[in-house]
Amino acid sequence: MPAPGAPLSTETLMDVYRQMRTIRAFEEKLSELVMAGKLAGFLHLYAGEEAVAVGVCAHLTDRDVVNSTHRGHGHCIAKGVDVGGMMAELFGRRTGICKGKGGSMHIADLDHGMLGANGIVGAGIPLTAGAALTAQVKQTGGVAVGFFGDGATNQGQFHEALNLAAVWRLPAVFVAENNLYGEATPMEFVTPVRDLAARAASYGMRSAIADGMDFFDVHAKAGEAIAHARRGDGPTLLECKTYRYFGHYVGDPLTYRTKEEADDWMQNRDPLQRFAERVVRDGLVEAGNLARIDRETTDRIEAAVRAAEQAPFPDPSELLTDVYVKG
Amino acid sequence: MARELPMVMAINEALHLAMQADPDVIVLGEDVAGGGGRADQGIEEAWGGIMGATRGLLKAFGPTRVRDTPISEMGFLGAAVGAAATGLRPVAELMFIDFIGVALDPLLNQAAKLRYMFGGKARVPLTVRTSVGAGLRSAAQHSQSLWGITTGIPGLKTVVPSTPADAKGLLLAAIRDDDPVVFCEPKSLMFVSGELPEGDYTVPLGKANVVRAGSDVSLVGFGRTVQTALEAADALAKAGTSAEVLDLRSLQPLDEEAILATLAKTGRLIVVDEGTPRCGIASDVAALCVDRGFDLLNGPVKRVTAPHAPVPFSPVLEDAYMPTAARVLAAVHELG
Amino acid sequence: MTRVPTPIAMPKLGMTMREGTVVAWPVPVGAPVAKGQLVLVIESEKAEVEIEAPASGVLRHVWVEPPAIVPCGTLLAAITATADEPFDPDAFRREHDRPEAPVAPAPAAAVAPLPAAGPRAAAPAITPAARTLARQLGVDPAVVPGTGPGGRVTREDVEAWVERRRSLVPVADGVALEAPATGAGDPVLLLPGFGTDVSAFARQIPALAERFRVVGVNPRGVGQSNPGPAERHDVATSAADAAALPGAPAHVIGASLGAAVALELALTLPARVRSLTLVTPFVDAGPRLLAVLDAWCRVARTGPADTLARMLLPWLFSARTLADDAARERVVRGLAAIVARIPASTLDRSAAGLRAWSGTRRDALRDVAVPTLVLGAGDDLLTPGVEAIAAAIPRAACVVVPGAGHAVCLEAPDAVNAAILRHVGGS
Repeated sequence: MPAPGAPLSTETLMDVYRQMRTIRAFEEKLSELVMAGKLAGFLHLYAGEEAVAVGVCAHLTDRDVVNSTHRGHGHCIAKGVDVGGMMAELFGRRTGICKGKGGSMHIADLDHGMLGANGIVGAGIPLTAGAALTAQVKQTGGVAVGFFGDGATNQGQFHEALNLAAVWRLPAVFVAENNLYGEATPMEFVTPVRDLAARAASYGMRSAIADGMDFFDVHAKAGEAIAHARRGDGPTLLECKTYRYFGHYVGDPLTYRTKEEADDWMQNRDPLQRFAERVVRDGLVEAGNLARIDRETTDRIEAAVRAAEQAPFPDPSELLTDVYVKG
Repeated sequence: MARELPMVMAINEALHLAMQADPDVIVLGEDVAGGGGRADQGIEEAWGGIMGATRGLLKAFGPTRVRDTPISEMGFLGAAVGAAATGLRPVAELMFIDFIGVALDPLLNQAAKLRYMFGGKARVPLTVRTSVGAGLRSAAQHSQSLWGITTGIPGLKTVVPSTPADAKGLLLAAIRDDDPVVFCEPKSLMFVSGELPEGDYTVPLGKANVVRAGSDVSLVGFGRTVQTALEAADALAKAGTSAEVLDLRSLQPLDEEAILATLAKTGRLIVVDEGTPRCGIASDVAALCVDRGFDLLNGPVKRVTAPHAPVPFSPVLEDAYMPTAARVLAAVHELG
Repeated sequence: MTRVPTPIAMPKLGMTMREGTVVAWPVPVGAPVAKGQLVLVIESEKAEVEIEAPASGVLRHVWVEPPAIVPCGTLLAAITATADEPFDPDAFRREHDRPEAPVAPAPAAAVAPLPAAGPRAAAPAITPAARTLARQLGVDPAVVPGTGPGGRVTREDVEAWVERRRSLVPVADGVALEAPATGAGDPVLLLPGFGTDVSAFARQIPALAERFRVVGVNPRGVGQSNPGPAERHDVATSAADAAALPGAPAHVIGASLGAAVALELALTLPARVRSLTLVTPFVDAGPRLLAVLDAWCRVARTGPADTLARMLLPWLFSARTLADDAARERVVRGLAAIVARIPASTLDRSAAGLRAWSGTRRDALRDVAVPTLVLGAGDDLLTPGVEAIAAAIPRAACVVVPGAGHAVCLEAPDAVNAAILRHVGGS
């Protein structure tokens, strides 16, 4: 793994672009499927925030643990969870990554250190502290990264977990994805601080702010925070300023924000576009390769949909399995 | 040679044994050691837990594995869940089960459900030790027996020992169980002594125990009410009625077969539960008897429980609150 | 490779949305569209929503023109990659039109009509265990007396009833009587009166059982005893029943109607009678006695046992008992328990038999040839004048217990027991 701050190789750049493009294509496809009535339940899409998940997870391996929120598809993909398994899970199929038992808000894969998306706002943050506690007690050298939104920073679980992580100097990074809205309420209406990173001061914790629409800024600041934790110097609260394109959930009428604001983010600050422009301009990656990645990704997602649609549903007997390990 | 020790010592022994045997077992909670950070003043372990159940652990196993937490039940229980899901085997203390109100999400929506939601890939080998029950004049917010809540959550297990011997064996079994277990410690029994075997042994989860055999009526209890039932059985014996006393020990998993077996034997069953009457264990057991043991019933299933009220402070009122042998006898009389 | 055509369906914008309104197609059919371009305006729950084209190409076909309300999932339009590639609207529609079915109103649950609530069963409660045992043993639970709270029949009650049933003694074709026995020695036969059973002698049995084998006889239709086929329980038949019980000649003791049976037995089968004791007897049923019997039969048919007991109380017991509140209530409870056990049909048949017998043995008293004791009660309102009966029976002794009512055996047991023991012991 390159040292933080070192320039990324072409191969790595193409890899992270592929991941971001996969997230974008995956989420857009889900939107289509929901509108066509082919998927059940609530879906919360990550489109627009790709640079945060990928920028952070680029520093992590399978021995590091991440967890996430109801808006967790991006973190799953960035952490290496199989896209086909994710799609099948969303279709409620037996071949899903959670055997169809979890659904969108509970996608997890412990083999890849993905401790799950979570349907309870803020609930993942103490879990992150717990995973960091394991790393500390067992001295694995691993770190735990928790992703959550601006709304979650007003939850009790956020404050208790950060306090605990700080006082125990846990190897954790808390990534607050500030996308300016908690459901239908603007962040500034319910949060007295402008920068969520300022909250770290209450816990004597290190903090940083990154431009969540810029992969390179996220990557640099995440690298510093993760190295800090891995060294045993304690946790960081990393705030990434970003924007969610599709609203809170698919079907959200978006009546709480203006079209002009959304268009501005989507057209002038799109993370994929900015990444592509920069790496092509700097001669790091050829434009043709990026286009190829786009096409391959589209095909991959379509194939995942077809496979998922044809996959079998779980057997009714699965209703009662895995409630307990035993008994 | 039989030693007699109080339940709190039995729990302490179990914790020592569990931590010795498995380096992944850690203990966390408020004041499990006490006096944290004051070693330079010669203070090492101020309390060892509010009743002394965790005494000596810090000295034996060190501050990495024995951690005093801030007063952040949601935070440290959630951390315990996360740690359990990633390779540790934590024993977290919820000082009073009454505090479950500020910590329900980590148990209800996380610990209980991760394995199921993740299609069987996750495992949460967490033990939550917690103090339950009335009788110590601790009033409404420190005297509840909320095992009905945890028993009703699919994915959790709940046990309640009635003797020091069972407490030690059940706690070792709970810690070694790979599912999240709520270990309820009846506070009125913590300083009651009983025979305590030496060494490492487990009492299986999900198995009730006939502590007194009888033929005319079945008294089903757990925790403190086992003693209540035994007192009633003594009085009944003097009046010529032979009572059988069944100690449930485990609320989830529940030993349904043992309950039906004692009902088959006597045809008359009384449940004695220190919890409140709505949606509780007593009703669960009664429903089981009526549903699966209907033709065995030679009288109604009677429930002797606390009243539908908070726990009062005044000793006179608190004593009237708790199920007593006299109330059990009255229920036997009503049974006919 | 030509891309497949892309459907545009009425979207489901939220879990509760069932249908939407097509408001406008801003792009005309046949015109090119770019992915993301506004292609359709719909209305749902009073809000207009703009729908973006899911793909680039040509808006090839529109199936639903505004204004129209359609269910979610209804196929509205199709975008093809090019304007002239082959496109079969009907086939495409068959494949992609998936309107949501309207939610059917929950079918009225097919509930079996509750059985018309019949008259509240007169039968008392019975425990499931008892009912199961009764079914296994072929016993009608309605006939089993219950000792549980409120008269509930328990498993033990069924067991006890079956045990009693086993001890029935056959006395005639198809008729077996309940004749519980206790004690040892020469036999004593106890014949209870109208509307009661052997328990009416509860205060006599322990005293007698010390020296005799005491056999109580529940007549036809009382306790476990078979009612037999006849519509009337004739006194002569009851006497024959008692005579048919196995054993040596017995000291026969009868009270009230039981005394009539005992008298009949002594007259027809004197070899079976060692001595005779007639407690509060009659040979002619007076009008007052007949009126009480009539009321007894009626109240038993329709009223609760407690009411019947309270009605009988002043006819059966002395003024002294009636004046003592505690004693009176105790007696009522005991009396109610007894009368509750005798079926109304038995009362009717017994009364008929009593009326038929009354007056038929007026002149036969002089023919009684066994040692006889006539025991009366000083406060007896139903069968006064026992002295005349004693006088008509040769060498009969007569004892009248002062201050006691017709139910003298229950009310003055010590005096009754002493008189009886003197009589049977001395025989």
